[in-house]
Amino acid sequence: MKHLLLRLEPVIWLLFGLGIMVGTMLMTAWIAVVGLGAPMGLIPADALAFERAHALGSTLIGRVVLAALIALPLWKGAHHTRHISIDMGNADRDGLVAPLLYLIAIAGSVLGIAAVVRL
Amino acid sequence: MSEKKTFRITRFDPDQDEAPRTQTYEIPVDPDWKVLDALNFIKDEIDGSLSHRWSCRMAVCGSCGMMVDGKPTLTCKKPLSEYGSEISVEPLANFPIVRDLVVELDGFMEKFESVKPWIIRAKERAVEEGTHRQSPAELEEFKQFSMCINCMLCYSACPVVANEPEFLGPAAIALGHRYNMDSRDEGAHERNEVFRGEGTVFSCSYANECSEVCPKHVDPAAAVNQAKINAVLDWATGFVVTRGKE
Amino acid sequence: MARAAHPDAMKPKTPGRTRTAPPMAPGEFPFAGRYRAYTLFDWTGIIYLLLGFVALRVVWALGDGESAWLAVQGQLENPLYLAFHLLSLVSVIFVGVRFFRLFPKAQPARIGPLKPPPQLVIHVALYAAWIGVAGGLALVLAGGIF
Repeated sequence: MKHLLLRLEPVIWLLFGLGIMVGTMLMTAWIAVVGLGAPMGLIPADALAFERAHALGSTLIGRVVLAALIALPLWKGAHHTRHISIDMGNADRDGLVAPLLYLIAIAGSVLGIAAVVRL
Repeated sequence: MSEKKTFRITRFDPDQDEAPRTQTYEIPVDPDWKVLDALNFIKDEIDGSLSHRWSCRMAVCGSCGMMVDGKPTLTCKKPLSEYGSEISVEPLANFPIVRDLVVELDGFMEKFESVKPWIIRAKERAVEEGTHRQSPAELEEFKQFSMCINCMLCYSACPVVANEPEFLGPAAIALGHRYNMDSRDEGAHERNEVFRGEGTVFSCSYANECSEVCPKHVDPAAAVNQAKINAVLDWATGFVVTRGKE
Repeated sequence: MARAAHPDAMKPKTPGRTRTAPPMAPGEFPFAGRYRAYTLFDWTGIIYLLLGFVALRVVWALGDGESAWLAVQGQLENPLYLAFHLLSLVSVIFVGVRFFRLFPKAQPARIGPLKPPPQLVIHVALYAAWIGVAGGLALVLAGGIF
């Protein structure tokens, strides 16, 4: 498992890098509007009305952005959660913890793609 | 020397002590002293059994690294005046302790050698061809990373070194990167394979503590993270370029 | 009080001639001094994982139809969700600022014939991209454009 992780490390690191860079940029907007602005009534009520949201989300670029919004933060999250485990002294269990976390990221990414495909 | 300071120093004699202990010394200090001067005073005047490494006294040999008030410090460089009346001096963190303030360095030497810190050429330049030519601009690309004095403060500061025994560590990676960026070198692929191996550069988690403590402004964090990019590019180009065994 | 480092930290493959005491981690690790910010940086990983799955839930609801969409919008008004998203906003800004501080110096001096722009230019470009991407997406989501 350790050997497999080492071989996949460049890919994992690239996904983590995209997650921390692009994911952070996209998430800033998503949190500000969808997570805070809309629930708190700070944006026009029809901005996220179903018809508009669905129409925007169903465009090619909309699907790509939404898929990125779901998947990229998961890779940053998985990678850093793995670091938390190591920092807490669990390096010897990394062979279990790392695959579990990256499988969660893979599952979330696959579901994210499914979520945008079915829009 | 009218001022006094109290030093709480780690002591460990493997023949007598089960585990490291702390011994306290109160000594008169000179206002111009560095921490190392105080340690040498203790050894020379009070307790000859105190063991610590030092050499140049001018921050170029890298021998006198210790934890002073919990921080990795080059003791010949740090003025005593920057500390309070009580100072703790411990051996470098993250290293096995041989005796008192002396740590085991062979682990570092193994990592150091593993990155092949020498010029690698596919074919050695013939003497008749003369010396390598390198422009000032080419030198600038790696010069900063060649300034390391192997004091290992960076290893003591690094949380990954503390938790992942296989990690190559800041100084070794910085040195390997130094050679990868040297225009005379042709061994980048070999080193990048080491960088992607068990000691993987990707274990670095951006603490940046190595660069914070480096007394020579090498910025090993920059080297390690640049090495990650080079290692990924080397890995990616491996799918399109066939490389023979060097 | 320093905690123990991994027992094999910096251990040589061939043991020395005398018994050594086990290595200790730096005293301030993980929750004091500069390590506090580093540890928080890693702990934002949990927030990012949750953010990704909340976003998944929202987008999945969008695909389920209008009533599911309205239901998830209503759930996002829950104070716990609001607190989570407020914490998340602080977290992503913290992550962005910390990462963007590192990114310029992480560029190799040369990749083949290519040299990176000056670090200041990279800094400005990163923040410009952040403002541009986040601002643009926020405008789209909030109904300002399209």
